[in-house]
Amino acid sequence: MKKMNNANRLDVPDFISIGIYTAIYFVLVTIATFSSGILFAGFAYVLLPALATLISGCVYMLMVAKVPKFGAITIMGIVMGLFFFASGHFILSFGANIVCGVLADIICKIGKYKNKMLILLSYIVFSFGLTGPVLPMWFMKDAYVANLIERGKDAAYIDAMFASINMGTFGICCIAILICAIIGGIFGQRMMKKHFQKAGII
Amino acid sequence: MNIISSKNISFSYMNSEQASLKEITIGIEEGECIVLCGRSGSGKTTFSRLLNGLCPMFFTGKLSGECDTSGLQAGNATIEEYVLYVGSVFQNPKTQYFNTDTTAELAFPCENCGFPSDEIKKRVNECVQRFQLDGLMNRNIFKLSGGEKQRVAFAASTMLDPKILVLDEPTSNLDASAISKLRRMILEMKQSGKTIIIAEHRLAWLNDIADRYVLFESGEIKQEWSAKEFLQFSQSELYEVGLRATRLDILKEIIENKLNSQAVSGNVLLKASNLVIGYDKKTEVYKLNTFCLYNGTVVGLVGHNGVGKSTLAKTLCGLIKPLSGSIQWKGQMVKGKQLTDHAFLVMQDVNYQLFSDSVRDEALLGNSNHEQCNQVLKMLGLSEVSERHPMSLSGGQKQRVAIASAILSNKELIVLDEPTSGLDHYHMTQVGNLLQMLKKQGKCVLVITHDEELTAQWCDYIIRLDGGNYGTGY
Amino acid sequence: MICLDPRVKLYLLLEANLLLFFHVNTVTEVIIVVLFLLPFFLSGKTKSALRFTIIYMLLLIIGMMTDSAGTNTLLNFVAMAAVGIRMILPCLIAGAYAFSTTTPSELFCALRKCHIPEGIIITCAVVIRFFPTVMEDYRQIRDGMAMRNIYIGMFHPLQSLEYVIIPLLMNGSTVARDLSVAALTKGIGLSGRHTSMVQIKMQIYDWIYMIISTIPLIMFKGGFL
Repeated sequence: MKKMNNANRLDVPDFISIGIYTAIYFVLVTIATFSSGILFAGFAYVLLPALATLISGCVYMLMVAKVPKFGAITIMGIVMGLFFFASGHFILSFGANIVCGVLADIICKIGKYKNKMLILLSYIVFSFGLTGPVLPMWFMKDAYVANLIERGKDAAYIDAMFASINMGTFGICCIAILICAIIGGIFGQRMMKKHFQKAGII
Repeated sequence: MNIISSKNISFSYMNSEQASLKEITIGIEEGECIVLCGRSGSGKTTFSRLLNGLCPMFFTGKLSGECDTSGLQAGNATIEEYVLYVGSVFQNPKTQYFNTDTTAELAFPCENCGFPSDEIKKRVNECVQRFQLDGLMNRNIFKLSGGEKQRVAFAASTMLDPKILVLDEPTSNLDASAISKLRRMILEMKQSGKTIIIAEHRLAWLNDIADRYVLFESGEIKQEWSAKEFLQFSQSELYEVGLRATRLDILKEIIENKLNSQAVSGNVLLKASNLVIGYDKKTEVYKLNTFCLYNGTVVGLVGHNGVGKSTLAKTLCGLIKPLSGSIQWKGQMVKGKQLTDHAFLVMQDVNYQLFSDSVRDEALLGNSNHEQCNQVLKMLGLSEVSERHPMSLSGGQKQRVAIASAILSNKELIVLDEPTSGLDHYHMTQVGNLLQMLKKQGKCVLVITHDEELTAQWCDYIIRLDGGNYGTGY
Repeated sequence: MICLDPRVKLYLLLEANLLLFFHVNTVTEVIIVVLFLLPFFLSGKTKSALRFTIIYMLLLIIGMMTDSAGTNTLLNFVAMAAVGIRMILPCLIAGAYAFSTTTPSELFCALRKCHIPEGIIITCAVVIRFFPTVMEDYRQIRDGMAMRNIYIGMFHPLQSLEYVIIPLLMNGSTVARDLSVAALTKGIGLSGRHTSMVQIKMQIYDWIYMIISTIPLIMFKGGFL
């Protein structure tokens, strides 16, 4: 029982599938936010995207398998960005999600949505869209510092406090995402084979 | 004049070698109400999908023959062309809503057609008036009962004023009072001249609606009867062709007797005294009379939707704690969560409790006794599929996998939530036999159900939760 | 009860983000937060509006009280945290306001008016529709796991993840199919322009509010605040 595959254009059932998987993806990211808050306390924000990446590989892989058409991943990125933005996240998260979504889509397209390595690579790229909500940590820093100085805080003291939030932390964040995306992606692909292919769902 | 005419139509789904429909020829007149009956998998759902364009446009496959629905040819016309002529209602009330509130769902078909706002409002109002849905408007669909959802879904299917309504097992999840409300709506539509096609297992509610009954068997039309002929059949004649009862009065009498029966022997397994159950005190709570459950019995738990049957099941399985009152297990007081060690819940939707990638692994999850596992799988007829993925099985098989894990968990109380919803007579009997088998093993089986046939025929005694929130238990 | 047009709400969200970009000072921030909270109260969501008001005021007071903290490390830490949270609060207030006072129908109408492609609107509709289902499914799966004495644990994180996510995705795929079928027979695939029963229109006060809420930002940029 498979739906008609009219060329490579997205049709209504595709949009509905994308919506379902995006909802699950969004919920997983939210869960990751809460649990990383508990696990790593203050440092959580840096590791949030990485943890989310770790657990949502299955969703991404299933969506690519179910809707192997150009545009699906992009739309997932756009809608994720919209929901981030509307729930009060920084607007950069909107941009980051769209850019990463389009790039990931192009990478998958090159492999005709079949090449496993390229799909994994596209997942890694897509995962960097999740840095969106964390980006203000760096981009907001100036505003934050300005605000503190306005409050009469000692500039040198502030610099010391911010030693931990610099480009180095951003690097840690990125490396964490990279590693977690690889693990999460491979785990997702294994689950596809173990469950969804065996059950005849994809 | 035939509004639907099908000539020698055959259909097989993609990736399936077997034909789902074979040489179907039937004509349906305008204003007729046809009931498609027969076992699950006999082709009645597939036939209904040909009438609203879902086959072969969404569910692709090989089609031959001609099927003309109000001038639209199956295979040529797109699903969109059918929209104005055919309204559809589906089996699962949970998954046929596109919107989160009821009013938006009614407006939805009109919005898709591009009607102006005023016209849509006018139509919604008319629809609300016609079906007296005032109380159901502007409600969150997640707060509606299954019956309410199905009524609004039916109303939504009539919004574009189609000539034909196609209903695919609309009542499989509903209780008696919800069915009777839906029935009134369908009757109303019939009187206004709509052609109505209903694929259904439960037949009793259709008695004054249906004009003709069509029996499907392995993809063919086996027989056709007029309503008058059909209603003369005795229960046993119906069972012979695999159909459910058309009269429930006899069954209801049996159920009443079982409610009052005192003839239960055996060891008291569980005694629940003065339970008050619910998720928390802010939401609904249910007060229950004291009742007992015994080893080696099949107990039916009946009552309308929303009287706390599922809440009770979860409480007895230790998934939620009772708000007050006490539960004794074999004479020992037990606290909420300890009951999980003694009781197993087979959910209505067993998909939520299947975790492994093969039936055998699923059964062995939590019990590593291979010998017992083989035995149980054989007993449940699952030996041949033991290496397959549980999600690739049929609904009945999945349910038996869940029951297999219930048996292998060696728990003594097994609770089944609506095990026969959407089942034909054959599969219902199969479930009934399973209950008997569990009973013989000395288990206590508690069945939540509003299936009168199951309760009357297979339960030893019945606990009824009624509107007053009191369990008139045994 | 007065409710702003969804497009104004989006504009307010945008403005909340601009606050961060422009490094506004506390006075401007307070004025704008008041402007955000006002429609929140008027929309009838008094409870959550009140909650935000109290949180914001507390953070403001803590910030002021710790201004003269000097070199006391603990006090400084508290002060910095208070400032940090306070800075992202305007975004959260605008987001909560937009989320809790807009019905999906209004949102879709607004998106249609902004000429967003129907495909994206459908996807958004499904996301909103499916959220509660994901939560409910998760609860059911937890129950199912409890029946098998499996609990989500830190010792087997991948195994726990598999047990939760596979049924979740399996059910998601079934719902995707059923929802498609139901929506298609209701004409979601029709190619013409789709309309909305709920109509939204920019009223005079919507425009006025947009202008009023922008004034503090302009004044700050112009050096008046």
